[in-house]
Amino acid sequence: MQLDAKIPDGPLAEKWDRHRFEMKLVNPANKRKFDIIVVGTGLAGGSASATLAELGYNVKTFCFQDSPRRAHSIAAQGGINAAKNYPNDGDSIWRLFYDTVKGGDFRAREANVHRLAQVSNNIIDHCVAQGIPFAREYGGLLANRSFGGAQVSRTFYARGQTGQQLLLGAYSSLARQIAAGKVTMFPRREMLDVVIVDGQARGIVVRNLISGELETHAAHAVVLATGGYGNVFFLSTNAMGCNVTAAYRAYKKGAFFANPCFTQIHPTCIPVHGTYQSKLTLMSESLRNDGRVWVPKKAGDTRRPADIPEDERDYFLERKYPSFGNLVPRDVASRNAKEQCDMGKGVGETRLAVYLDFADAIRRDGRAVIEKKYGNLFQMYAKITADNPYETPMMIYPAVHYTMGGLWVDYNLMSTVPGLFVLGEANFSDHGANRLGASALMQGLADGYFVIPYTIGGYLAGTPQRAVTTADPAFKAATQAVNGRISKLLSINGHRTVDDFHRELGGIMWDYCGMARTNAGLEVARGLIQNLRAEFWENVKVPGDPGEFNQSLERAGRVADFLEFGELMLIDARARQESCGGHFNEAFQTQENEALRDDENFCHVAAWEFTGEDKEPAFHKEPLVFENVHLTQRSYK
Amino acid sequence: MNWLINTLGSSIGKKLLMALTGLGFISFLVGHLAGNLTIYGGKDAFNSYAAHLHALGPFVTAAELGLLLFAVIHVATGAILFYQNLQARPERYKVNKSGGGRTIGSATMPYTGFVVLAFVIFHLLNFHFVDKTHTTIFQIVSEAFASPVYVLIYIVAMVIVALHVSHGFWSAFQSLGANHPKYMPFIMGVSVAVSVIFGIGFGFLPVYISLFS
Amino acid sequence: MTKTINLTLKVWRQKGPHVKGKLETYHANNISTDMSFLEMIDVVNEQLTLDGKDPIAFDHDCREGICGSCGAVVNGRPHGPEKGTTLCQLHMRHFSDGDTVVVEPWRSRAFPIIRDLAVDRGVLDKIIQAGGYISVNAGGAQDANAIPIPQEVADKAMDAAACIGCGACVAACPNASAMLFVSAKVSQLALLPQGKPEAARRAIAMLCSADKAGFGNCSNERECEAECPKEISITHIARLNREFFKASFGSSVQ
Ligand SMILES: Cc1cc2nc3c(=O)[nH]c(=O)nc-3n(C[C@H](O)[C@H](O)[C@H](O)COP(=O)(O)OP(=O)(O)OC[C@H]3O[C@@H](n4cnc5c(N)ncnc54)[C@H](O)[C@@H]3O)c2cc1C
Ligand code: SF4
Ligand code: FES
Repeated sequence: MQLDAKIPDGPLAEKWDRHRFEMKLVNPANKRKFDIIVVGTGLAGGSASATLAELGYNVKTFCFQDSPRRAHSIAAQGGINAAKNYPNDGDSIWRLFYDTVKGGDFRAREANVHRLAQVSNNIIDHCVAQGIPFAREYGGLLANRSFGGAQVSRTFYARGQTGQQLLLGAYSSLARQIAAGKVTMFPRREMLDVVIVDGQARGIVVRNLISGELETHAAHAVVLATGGYGNVFFLSTNAMGCNVTAAYRAYKKGAFFANPCFTQIHPTCIPVHGTYQSKLTLMSESLRNDGRVWVPKKAGDTRRPADIPEDERDYFLERKYPSFGNLVPRDVASRNAKEQCDMGKGVGETRLAVYLDFADAIRRDGRAVIEKKYGNLFQMYAKITADNPYETPMMIYPAVHYTMGGLWVDYNLMSTVPGLFVLGEANFSDHGANRLGASALMQGLADGYFVIPYTIGGYLAGTPQRAVTTADPAFKAATQAVNGRISKLLSINGHRTVDDFHRELGGIMWDYCGMARTNAGLEVARGLIQNLRAEFWENVKVPGDPGEFNQSLERAGRVADFLEFGELMLIDARARQESCGGHFNEAFQTQENEALRDDENFCHVAAWEFTGEDKEPAFHKEPLVFENVHLTQRSYK
Repeated sequence: MNWLINTLGSSIGKKLLMALTGLGFISFLVGHLAGNLTIYGGKDAFNSYAAHLHALGPFVTAAELGLLLFAVIHVATGAILFYQNLQARPERYKVNKSGGGRTIGSATMPYTGFVVLAFVIFHLLNFHFVDKTHTTIFQIVSEAFASPVYVLIYIVAMVIVALHVSHGFWSAFQSLGANHPKYMPFIMGVSVAVSVIFGIGFGFLPVYISLFS
Repeated sequence: MTKTINLTLKVWRQKGPHVKGKLETYHANNISTDMSFLEMIDVVNEQLTLDGKDPIAFDHDCREGICGSCGAVVNGRPHGPEKGTTLCQLHMRHFSDGDTVVVEPWRSRAFPIIRDLAVDRGVLDKIIQAGGYISVNAGGAQDANAIPIPQEVADKAMDAAACIGCGACVAACPNASAMLFVSAKVSQLALLPQGKPEAARRAIAMLCSADKAGFGNCSNERECEAECPKEISITHIARLNREFFKASFGSSVQ
């Protein structure tokens, strides 16, 4: 199958306008005749549901949490980018576009990224209108801060709770549409399959997590906004419920999975401190605005940080990257931290940490200023570690944070299954091989507020569809398959818990498919995962019944999918014989240990097609064409 | 008028009623206390205060009816609140512990309220609804407080009133929406002061009377 | 460095909303003091699973104090004894070896128990649906800097907006009232110029919705403020009261 990204013609800056003009429209009176399913209520799904309902469509929205307000987007701390150029420091749509493409190490689609930069400003306008209390200057205008990978201040924020505030904005718009009867909300539902009728996505199967019942829902189009799959690593900064299940089920029904090996390791997280640990905590990247990263110059130095004199400290990011300093992109910062620890210069009990030091900033600006900027982050750090970051440097280490890979979508955000749209972190579209800070929130909201409302109309207006209800045999078949799997999981009754398997899977993925990868390691890992998967299906113990509130069963289903999906990541990582952004294959690096791309052979999106259980997935290539930016070796020196 | 019933029937409406009637009682108590302080001026001063008060005739009756109306509202609303709040948590906690918000005053509001109601009835029966054609009010009072049981009942009652007011006073302001970081500490201070003044002011009277009359 | 402790847990077990529940005793041994409370329950659950028993059901997701999913009453205190902390951020270093810890669900008529510690807080969504929004469709907004908002006002609105909808205020309130939750949203939107046009309608509609949901009445006990993990102040309740009076007596909204 030839992948067609459906990128509109014309000059980059005009593509989106032109496309909006050329797309077919659904007349306002007809919109109410269309039902749309949205799975997910994060920034992407929440904003999409609200906006589609505002336009007049009938929307059914699903999430697995007890309330749409709890989607994982709530946890985003740092901020959201927009090309407003309020600080007058030279920002523009073009610069945001360029920074994002470059930050993604030239593995994203130009047209998508440009559109993202274009609508970024509308997002801020809309969010302010919704009543989001963004940070402001004394004069009452909006404040900005800097994030990694950019030399302008373009990040809007609401204390350290930007994601929360943006999500609550989308949630409030959603609530308004629920009250208006345009959205029917189904919380505590887990999507377990997509239903395809005549080659089009026409519905879903969900499990009611309270009663355990399987429910089916039909619609004219299905929108997945189910977030990222970082939890394949077990330990990540993602919420416990984040999963690949929805996306992976869609993959098994024919949607291609793009660039699954592109995962982001965030440099500033609280280090791992015990085997019982269930998740890792991110400390917002905004901390790197004022914090200085360092390690002792001497390997194995166990003195307390305060006892290490200034000239025996190595501020390695400032030393290696004088122009971006501590604000290099995440992949670069993470890899450097790992490199320092590999050289034995790591600090803390486990030696797997570097310092993030605010002493200078506190001396310069005073404690009050630092507290105002980062108070809640400092408090969170103190709560978790029982260390006071005002007095002693924080200890940080990289952790899995975001997944750039996702279901392949075209310019309209439609997957390879007609009528199946994918938004937010669940798609692959805008971040290439590395996402810049504060751009995921931007993308989720761009997709939901400003892209899907148009493109889904184009699809619905231009696609003939027959009437389909949940009585269709396809729904029955899908339900039966889901049921079979649930019964199987419950019947094994082995000796190891779900979490135990998940932890082992995470270990394999982190060791072999984490910050640095080798061909040999990837191959070893594949064998390990296959064995683990086989053992899982013989030895997992899932207590309880299918027809009840059963959290072990929920987790078991997710881990079962991770066990398959992890292998797909390894396959993708092995196939990409270059390094780029978050994908670092040790065989491909510059003399300065930076990721070395191979634009000749790998300037493409790798999209994987499911071909059957235990069969190799089929590889499809979408070549990336850069007409507006010049491919360079990224340099942040 | 439907809107008014809805407003006053809502949870904040009930608060409003409690706050306004409560503040009404507090103002009344301030006046009552001021009047009672004439006892320290001796028998004649006290009797003449009573006489002056009665000379106001219809105003007194109006005030009494007003107080009665306030009492009915305050008690009835309080009873509804108590019942509804009990219903709102059908299964109680096995372990109860305060996070530091409640005070003895706030935690005991319905109970102290009930006791105050009982006391007020008792008090009215003793001093108000008595035949005063052949005695002066001072006589009635001093005879009553000749009994240590009476004194004790009054002292205990006044402590309970003080508790009730210690929460009621500032709480009324909060209910009316008057909570401002600049002024709230002052209101809180006044709340304590008023309850202490009521407690001691009213509570010491029976002692004084029993000792010196 | 890491210390471990042993605890006796008494956990509320209840199979469903209409079944009787009771406290069951478990032993949590070798608990690292660096663990969070939820990680401690994870450990207990792993053991229960291996022993062929039903693990303890409890809601949780972000485990960093922001999603508002988690929550239980620990020794009588919602989210446990630490101030300004959600259960997932409560670390075991605040407990001592040998402690007995009683864990109960949020108890309120408006929050039926789903199972064990998991309760149904759906009514909080209903309250927001009644009016916790600004009616603006995507696409119609003016420039974000068109209306300056004094920093102090934005900060105050943010203080209120920090509510995570966990329901601890209800759990803590001796009257099981949701007033702090309602006030946080009403207050946030009442403070901001964008929220003014709908302020009257919002205050009345949200309060009515909360009253209908079966919560108790606020009597200014201040337990909510003391237990709220985001330390939302009852000054917001006072603002809600003002907004409600303004709306009821000073606007034409019914
Ligand atoms: C700690 C942290 C901090 C971050 N900080 C920033 C930041 O400062 N700036 C920035 O730009 N980005 C940040 N990010 C990234 C950003 O938050 C996420 O990428 C983004 O919010 C994802 O939004 P989403 O709508 O795609 O998915 P999510 O918010 O993850 O929502 C997924 C939704 O799908 C539902 N769902 C998932 N699976 C199923 C299923 N099987 N069935 C039914 N429903 C399902 C869930 O219930 C949920 O509603 C951060 C991420 C983390 C982890
Ligand atoms: S007000 Fe506080 S306690 Fe109540 S729901 Fe919000 S965050 Fe939780
Ligand atoms: S799990 Fe999200 S707040 Fe505790």
